[in-house]
Amino acid sequence: MPQRRFDSNETSLNAVGGTPSKAATEAGVRQLIASGDHKTALERAKELHKASSTIASEALLVDAYAERIRSLLRRNLTLEAQSLIDLVRQRYPTARTRLDELTARVVAKPRSLDDLVRPLNDPGLVAAQRAAIERVLQQDVWDLAALAGCEALPADHSLRKGAAALERAFVAATNGPVAEDALSLPEVSHRSPLAPWKLLTRAIASFYRGEDESCRRYLDGIEPQSAPQRVVPTIKAMLTGEAAAPPTPAAGALRARITRASTLRSALEALDQAFASASKGRILKAIRAVLDQCQQVSPGQLESLRQHISVRCAVADLDPAKVVVAMGGPSRHDATFLRLFARGMEESQDPEHVVVACRLWEDFRHAAVQEGWFAANGREAAALSLHIADLLRRLPEELLRELQQRAYSQAKASGEKMSYLFPEEMYQRACALDPHPESFSQWMDWAARRPGEAERVAAAWHKIRPRDIEPVLRLMKEAEARGAFGSALGYLAKVEQIDGLHSSARGTRLRLLAGSALRRLQQKKPVLAAENLAEMSALPEAQQGDRPAFLAALRFVVSAVCGHSEEAAAARADVERLLGSAAAAMLVFAVATTSKQRAIAHLGSVGDLSRTERASLPAALARVTALAAEMHLMLEVPGSWMIEVAKQFPASRQTLDAAQLRSLAESAVRAGVGDLAYAVSSAGLERGGATEVRFLLLRAQAVTGQFERRVVCAKAAAVLASQQQDAELAEEAGELVRGLFAFDHVSLTFDQARAVLQTEKAAGEPPSKRRPGPTYDDLVGGSCQCASCRRKRGEAVDPFDDLDDDDFVEDEDFGFESPPDMPPKMAEMFAEEIAKAIRRGESVEEFMARLLPGGLPRRSTRRRKKRRLR
Amino acid sequence: MDPIEVLGISRNATDEEIRAAYLLKVREYPPDRAPEQFEKVRDAYEILRDPRRRLRHRLFSVDPGAPLASLFADEARPRRFVGPGPWLEVLKGK
Repeated sequence: MPQRRFDSNETSLNAVGGTPSKAATEAGVRQLIASGDHKTALERAKELHKASSTIASEALLVDAYAERIRSLLRRNLTLEAQSLIDLVRQRYPTARTRLDELTARVVAKPRSLDDLVRPLNDPGLVAAQRAAIERVLQQDVWDLAALAGCEALPADHSLRKGAAALERAFVAATNGPVAEDALSLPEVSHRSPLAPWKLLTRAIASFYRGEDESCRRYLDGIEPQSAPQRVVPTIKAMLTGEAAAPPTPAAGALRARITRASTLRSALEALDQAFASASKGRILKAIRAVLDQCQQVSPGQLESLRQHISVRCAVADLDPAKVVVAMGGPSRHDATFLRLFARGMEESQDPEHVVVACRLWEDFRHAAVQEGWFAANGREAAALSLHIADLLRRLPEELLRELQQRAYSQAKASGEKMSYLFPEEMYQRACALDPHPESFSQWMDWAARRPGEAERVAAAWHKIRPRDIEPVLRLMKEAEARGAFGSALGYLAKVEQIDGLHSSARGTRLRLLAGSALRRLQQKKPVLAAENLAEMSALPEAQQGDRPAFLAALRFVVSAVCGHSEEAAAARADVERLLGSAAAAMLVFAVATTSKQRAIAHLGSVGDLSRTERASLPAALARVTALAAEMHLMLEVPGSWMIEVAKQFPASRQTLDAAQLRSLAESAVRAGVGDLAYAVSSAGLERGGATEVRFLLLRAQAVTGQFERRVVCAKAAAVLASQQQDAELAEEAGELVRGLFAFDHVSLTFDQARAVLQTEKAAGEPPSKRRPGPTYDDLVGGSCQCASCRRKRGEAVDPFDDLDDDDFVEDEDFGFESPPDMPPKMAEMFAEEIAKAIRRGESVEEFMARLLPGGLPRRSTRRRKKRRLR
Repeated sequence: MDPIEVLGISRNATDEEIRAAYLLKVREYPPDRAPEQFEKVRDAYEILRDPRRRLRHRLFSVDPGAPLASLFADEARPRRFVGPGPWLEVLKGK
């Protein structure tokens, strides 16, 4: 192509810019075009462009070509027009857009296949025209039969012969399997315009043979502009299984017909729908249809399908006899079936189904071992035993007990031992087969809810895995709880050996020695208590905080019991020096009370305290409460002292730190002094920071008479504690509202919980009749079922509804019995006090420990002992 | 979804194979570009990397409530012969 030169006057070539000769030539060309002599015009334009080769001359030439093409189209010489368009498009790419309109006209022009191919009979047909015809054949012809029968070409023409061969191959490949060898198609050369059809036919045959890679290879070889290319995306989509929308409706229809679900698949879907409809007749009918289809199409899967159907029918509670009839016999009851059945049963919420699931898992274990799935003593068997134990925990206690009793009787009669009904046996088996901490931990978790069991499990765990710290900690805790401080100290030594830095080991020795000393004082063994005291004094942690004061108080009691009055006096002086007289009095009283030596210390009247001592009472109580909590002391503060603490608190609220405020508030909550608890919680909330959520919970505990507020504060505290990842506090908050079913629906978002916190911070004054404080109707909502809320909503309220659940608390069984010698009136008062304690958030144990040193005999304990004896 | 399918491993894959498959999938679905897919891959690996969890998954992961057609999921999708007609409809370009 000649190099084009830029002519600065090209835009006005016709006017003044061109040379006279050029301008004259151009004008001549335009004139020829206008007169309709397009052929001559084109010749002149070609000469002009050859001579000047400018953009303007090219534009003129393209104009001449365009007019020539139009004239051809007017004479229905579509093929020639198309050829010329292709030629101009190829030579002058910049004119492509100008040719689009002409191309559209060519496409719109009706023409027959005969017209298209007839010029091919002309031996003098120029190559360009032949190529153009072949291009049209390749791009447009889709009807091979028509081309094969085209009479414009002789019968032995290569195109007709090729089309006929291709048509036969295409029909064969789309009707049934065709081998690759049968598609060599020598009639169609790779240069033929029909060559893409050869590739397509081979691709279709490969597709049906499942030779996807080969199919892809053929598809990739198909000329992109050819007619066969139109079906390539559809075949590729079927190869990948992708669910993209088909490009045309015809493509969608083709794909749908080829990949249409089989009759079996349809039958399976129908059966699934029948199960969903729960129509038993429909299910049984669908079972017959699906098994019939499976027998024909996929007999290898028949047994598996029958097993699935059996299980689905069992879960749907269908009559097994009818199912067997519908299936033409029972399914095979092997390990596969038993596992499937067990899974089906355990998904149910019905406890009876869960029991069946346990039995089935046990049967599966046996069957699987027999069938060689795993060894009888392997980890799989252990995992199954743990799984059964876990399922048994879902059963109501009473039902399980009843089943176990029946199992005992049956075992006596038939000898069949139904171990799968006994969680303990399952855990034991699991831990024996797979003594992994995870197994033991699950067993321990189960045992923790059964008094005494946890210690036994921990002992078993410790025996098998002596280096695990968890069972030793549990053994230590259990020993401490039953007052076996010697054993507890022994376990502590083991904990320290395993992990000296474990958080549970820190400070424990001091507490255990203190417990031991107090216990020995209770047993009137002051000399041994003194030994503990000496040991405690040697501990570095005994010198921290207020602990020296505790040691001095203990020394005072030990010395007093031993009759060493001088030493006792010195110790007492030490306590007073370390804590101040008010706190000292309370601490000494607490130590003496806990060691059952009340005779040697009494608290006296609060009126005897000096003004300064009274002013220091809040701080003193906070310090002693903290010590008592740490050393498990019984701290009983008389009501008059608590009133004085409440009186003095406003003046000292700024001097107490957050920890002291917390101790003080907890002490007030325990003593049932709501106003003091409220005031202290206000002071704590004012401080803000990380401890404010703790004080929100204390606020909940302080507002004993306002249930809605108590619930909202506790739930807000739970939400905020969870957000702070303080699981312990969240658990405490949840515990406070557990069992208040009327408020179960109350659920707070984080933002709502923050808003509650802000509201409570602003509510500094304790609630009174005139100013009851914040209400949370919007959070509790209209669905609260308490009598007051129902009345507010205008709902009918039964007179008995006015009685709160707690009004019936005296009728409830708290798991204790009053002593037989207790007068009835006193027993009634006792029950009332317990009810109040529970409303305050105190547990029965805490209440008993506070009220009656040593507590009352627990009924459950007695029963347990009886059981053991049996 | 079955973690074995997510990682594309065999049921008897070794620890090394599981880890290799996980790393491959993470490269395929990096968390910044395909967070949802990455989460699936990570969850699947969490189940399979621990032999005890893997064992539990192997024992208890059967689903009796799954659609019955899923029993035949391993079978190839049907490819029905439909004759030249529907093919030609597409080739016509309509």
